[in-house]
Amino acid sequence: MAKLSTVIKHEYLTIVKQPSFWIIMIAIPAIIAAVAGLSYLGNKSSQDRIGDLAKDLKNVAIVDQSGLINKEVVGASGLTLSSTDQQNDLREAVRTGAKEALVVYPDTLAKDRTYEIYLSSDDFTKMGSVTSLADSLLKTSIFLPLGSAEIIALAQDGASSDVVTYRDGKETAGLNEYVVPGLFVVLFYIIFAFSVGYMLTSVSEEKENRSMEMVLTYIEPRKLIVGKLLAVIAVTITQVLFFALMAVVAYFGLQAAGNAIALPAGIDLNKLVFDPLAIFFGVSFLVVGFLLFAGLMTATAAIAPSTKEANSFSAVFYIGAFMPFYFVMMILTDPENPITKFITFFPLTSPVVALLRNAVGNMGTLESVLALLAMTFFMVVAIWVAIRAFSRGALEYSSVLKLSALFKR
Amino acid sequence: MVKPIVSVENFHLAIGEKEIVKDLSFTINPGEVFAFLGANGSGKTSTIRSLLGIYQPTSGSLLIDGKRYSPLQARDVGYLPEERGLYTRAKVLDIMVYFGELKGLAHEEAKEFSLAYLERVGLADKSNVKVKKLSGGQQQKVQLGVAIIGGPKLLILDEPTKGLDPMNRKLLLDIVDELQAKGTAVIYVTHLMEEVERLADRLLILKDGTARAYGTVADVKKKYKSKSIEDIFVSIYDTKSSEVVHG
Repeated sequence: MAKLSTVIKHEYLTIVKQPSFWIIMIAIPAIIAAVAGLSYLGNKSSQDRIGDLAKDLKNVAIVDQSGLINKEVVGASGLTLSSTDQQNDLREAVRTGAKEALVVYPDTLAKDRTYEIYLSSDDFTKMGSVTSLADSLLKTSIFLPLGSAEIIALAQDGASSDVVTYRDGKETAGLNEYVVPGLFVVLFYIIFAFSVGYMLTSVSEEKENRSMEMVLTYIEPRKLIVGKLLAVIAVTITQVLFFALMAVVAYFGLQAAGNAIALPAGIDLNKLVFDPLAIFFGVSFLVVGFLLFAGLMTATAAIAPSTKEANSFSAVFYIGAFMPFYFVMMILTDPENPITKFITFFPLTSPVVALLRNAVGNMGTLESVLALLAMTFFMVVAIWVAIRAFSRGALEYSSVLKLSALFKR
Repeated sequence: MVKPIVSVENFHLAIGEKEIVKDLSFTINPGEVFAFLGANGSGKTSTIRSLLGIYQPTSGSLLIDGKRYSPLQARDVGYLPEERGLYTRAKVLDIMVYFGELKGLAHEEAKEFSLAYLERVGLADKSNVKVKKLSGGQQQKVQLGVAIIGGPKLLILDEPTKGLDPMNRKLLLDIVDELQAKGTAVIYVTHLMEEVERLADRLLILKDGTARAYGTVADVKKKYKSKSIEDIFVSIYDTKSSEVVHG
């Protein structure tokens, strides 16, 4: 037990003492937040700028052959409608620079949904502002007969829906039911992206730096692997707690700044459902799925002679973990499909598929239990193979361990 | 009669179809330096790995202090393998303490030993330096420290002076002398026969997995009518003789 805790402490500290561990943990959410923020601010700023420029456009001619453009709307923009007869002259004026732009709404507009813009220069900003102006004139003219500004806004932007769902005659929480079990899917990917790889590097690094033989003299392979696994679990818990802390700080920070977080699809934090059964299966699929992949990574590292080769071999596991997203609609909406059934029980896809199906509640209790049992079986096999491969292949420095060596005495 | 610290009897090892070691028997007594010699591929490292339970023998028995070795005896054994290295990203003191703890020492005991050892080998100022920042010779001294931490009853050194400069080689041999004086038995694997002459009490020369010479240095020299271990080694490997000796 003392040796196990020595290994756990050593492996844990080796990982968390690396500056790169903290840099990656802080940098990735920070980069995502920065890119999202800059993208939002940048888009808003450029849209505002184009809108402002559109308001200032005064030397633009408008020709309407479609009969859809309202003269008063054009007038409100400080412009006037020109007659169709003037179109050729106006085009020439644009070509020579006498006019900034010409917008022609053809008589086929309703059918083709295309209008023409002629610009005196190829300035990208002017292109955006004239297009914005032309679009605004068209939409406002079309929506004007609807009446009030609210109705025009409704027609332009659409409306959100409050969905009320019933099960067995009782009202349910709708999408709010999916949020808590759905968090386990997110958590799985965070763990997968950040932690599972540590098993690979921790084992292959020991082989590569030739410390393995010395280590194996003083501790049994099984104890060493279990110690490494427990250390990676401890690292994972540290990461999850860190991200949770960051999320809480961000939540209260935004609230303090007066920005309420707008959750999508009408999700209301006060209406979240904490279904014990869904949470139980969520936690189980998460833990067993993590251990399954950690076992596979360990086995790969033990079988491969170097970190480089171990990384190449491990690509297949990453594909397995991300593949369910190619089938996501089928997984969420067609639980009886044979492919959905197959990938629910296939070892490389089962953790993600089971977590997704558990999130939307399309997997019955019996199927969940069976999926968990199958996943547990594969996990035990993966860890057995990992320990076996580690015992046999730990000192293979130049070649890949043969499969037959796993089963020899 | 002294109870041997190592006792190998009728040891056979086959890996796949290949027979690596055939019917090997020898003993090592406490406080003696035992030179374990042989050309590359003769079965020395396989024998050591089998003695330490890393390989499973095909037949025969290999005992340390009367028992089949398990990591529970880690404190009594120090091993510096031929393929050796350390966690390059870890600090010198941390790595020594880690191995000390793996061998069963308490944290403070391991730290105290490590600091004293680093002082002894002139690396005290490197205790908080990462291993990768050390020179090859300095890393080898740390590796030796890892092997001897806790004062083992049996120390196995597989080509310990490979790559060391003369000063560090002398330092290492002095440390082996000191450990021997304290009662540690040393299995010393080397291709440098002057080290055998300088250190060894007894020796075993392995060829094709079998013992071809075994006994005290004086007895082996007498038997081969030679003044030099190197000449004996060369003559064993030069002849087609298949004479096998048993311990």
